[in-house]
Amino acid sequence: MLRNLKFAFNSAWQSFWRNLAVSLAAVLSITLILILAGINLLVGHAFSQVLDGFRDKVSEISINVSDDTPLPNVYDFQQQLAADPRVTSVKFVTKDEALTQFKSDPQNGVLAQQIDGNPLDAKLDVHVKNLGDVAAIDAKARQWSGVDPTDPTNYQGDFVNRMLQLSQWLGLAGAALLVILLIVSVVIVMNTIRTAVYHRRKEIEVMKLVGATEWFVRGPFVIEGIMTGLVAAAIALALLVISYEPVVARFKSDVGFIPLSYDPAFISSLATDLLLAGALLGALGSYIGVRRYVRI
Amino acid sequence: MVLTPDFATRPVISFQHVFKTYPTGTEALRDVNLEVPEGDFLFLVGPSGAGKSTLVRLLIREEKPSKGKIFVDGIELGRMKRRRLPHYRRKVGLVFQDFKLLPNLTVYENVAFAMRVLGDPDHEIQARVAEALDTVSLSGKEHTYPANLSGGEQQRVAIARALAHAPRFIIADEPTGNLDPATAWEIMQLFLRINARGATVVMATHNREIVDLLRRRVIAIDAGQIARDDRSGRYHEDVAKPQVRVQ
Ligand SMILES: Nc1ncnc2c1ncn2[C@@H]1O[C@H](COP(=O)(O)OP(=O)(O)O)[C@@H](O)[C@H]1O
Ligand SMILES: [Mg+2]
Repeated sequence: MLRNLKFAFNSAWQSFWRNLAVSLAAVLSITLILILAGINLLVGHAFSQVLDGFRDKVSEISINVSDDTPLPNVYDFQQQLAADPRVTSVKFVTKDEALTQFKSDPQNGVLAQQIDGNPLDAKLDVHVKNLGDVAAIDAKARQWSGVDPTDPTNYQGDFVNRMLQLSQWLGLAGAALLVILLIVSVVIVMNTIRTAVYHRRKEIEVMKLVGATEWFVRGPFVIEGIMTGLVAAAIALALLVISYEPVVARFKSDVGFIPLSYDPAFISSLATDLLLAGALLGALGSYIGVRRYVRI
Repeated sequence: MVLTPDFATRPVISFQHVFKTYPTGTEALRDVNLEVPEGDFLFLVGPSGAGKSTLVRLLIREEKPSKGKIFVDGIELGRMKRRRLPHYRRKVGLVFQDFKLLPNLTVYENVAFAMRVLGDPDHEIQARVAEALDTVSLSGKEHTYPANLSGGEQQRVAIARALAHAPRFIIADEPTGNLDPATAWEIMQLFLRINARGATVVMATHNREIVDLLRRRVIAIDAGQIARDDRSGRYHEDVAKPQVRVQ
């Protein structure tokens, strides 16, 4: 067994160097593909970082209090909300404060001058931890007896849902792109293996004639495939790691308002993903390749 | 000591109404029936394109018969599972006209290759390779590369490789086809010696002098059919009126 493994590794190594041009072409193509895959992962990660920042902003909800609600009732509900584990903070805004806020917003300029008295509700500004929980807090508020029945909250379910959906679609598109990239690399590995098999057809013929088992003949090619995938993954990873921080810095200075940041912790997860992907696609491509081209 | 093949016992090789038609439509073999007892030494003769190599390829299960059955050592080759094939091939030593040596390996490594492939331990490989090289009188050439050997020496290496796992069958397709008469004769002596030790030998050949001199079993194939099967035959049916074949 050990002897066979040694033989397989030796042959794989020799074959890799013997078909250096083809091996290098495969390594480079797969490196490119894995770089694309890595960029895909990095962009996905950056997007979720940005989305997290964005979530903070939209995860606020204002509950309008009807004018005839007694103040103790409002405090009571405020405390109830504050005790909710999904809620980060609750702030009570009186009618006067609400009016001041409204008037100070330049967007409301003309409208503010036409206001007679104070038609605005007092409100509870609630900050929710997770964007997905805003809807639940909204529902809870609508059931509260003190809420203004004509205009209960400022919750715009549609918008929030659309944001969530968009991020899901983007994730899906990223995953689909990854799958396509991986399929392409599997095909590339298959073709390298075909070339390697062609170069070693004489040796394979002799192996068959002296009674080598099918997997003894196939083993070296599978190892060669895994080697190709791993080398490509290592190169892709190195290039990505080297350029990650400068690119983020550059991006930050150019488009400052998007809260993108360099995340060194993500590198280790990227490394695992890429190396695993390299090894797996190498193994898969060469496995399919030898099953097709190495028969006894 | 020469073992006399025992035609009364169950044959180790048996062809029963074997047909082979290639995907191209060529009918290479038609209704071939053949029985070979253990220890036999037989020549397959016939013009080029008669179907000798096809018969050999069927025998080592490189091809399957289109119709009919082939039994070797009690196993029907056409129904043998693919994963059993390596085990079967280890029982068979193969020798070809073009030697099929690996040019980047030395004589020693070429012979050892067959045993490496089977995962034999190093000390056993060393002993068996030495023995096989001794049998073919190539001791001392272990570290030479095939390109630096004569044709006869290369064929000896190939025979040593075929002998490395002590096969019960030696199957050879024109093993002397590339060799001059004197060398061909030496190689033939080698096959006789291997046969004398008990291996069954099936050899396709064009070498008329040798066939006529040895007077062993001769099976003549013509256009895919067995035309003649003589227990101690000659290359042509009758020396008195040799047949001239138009190509
Ligand atoms: N792989 C193949 N595919 C198609 N036809 C073949 C193949 N091998 C041999 N043949 C044909 O089968 C016939 C017998 O060939 P072969 O067995 O090689 O004869 P021999 O060895 O007696 O010269 C020939 O007509 C040859 O052209
Ligand atoms: Mg032939």
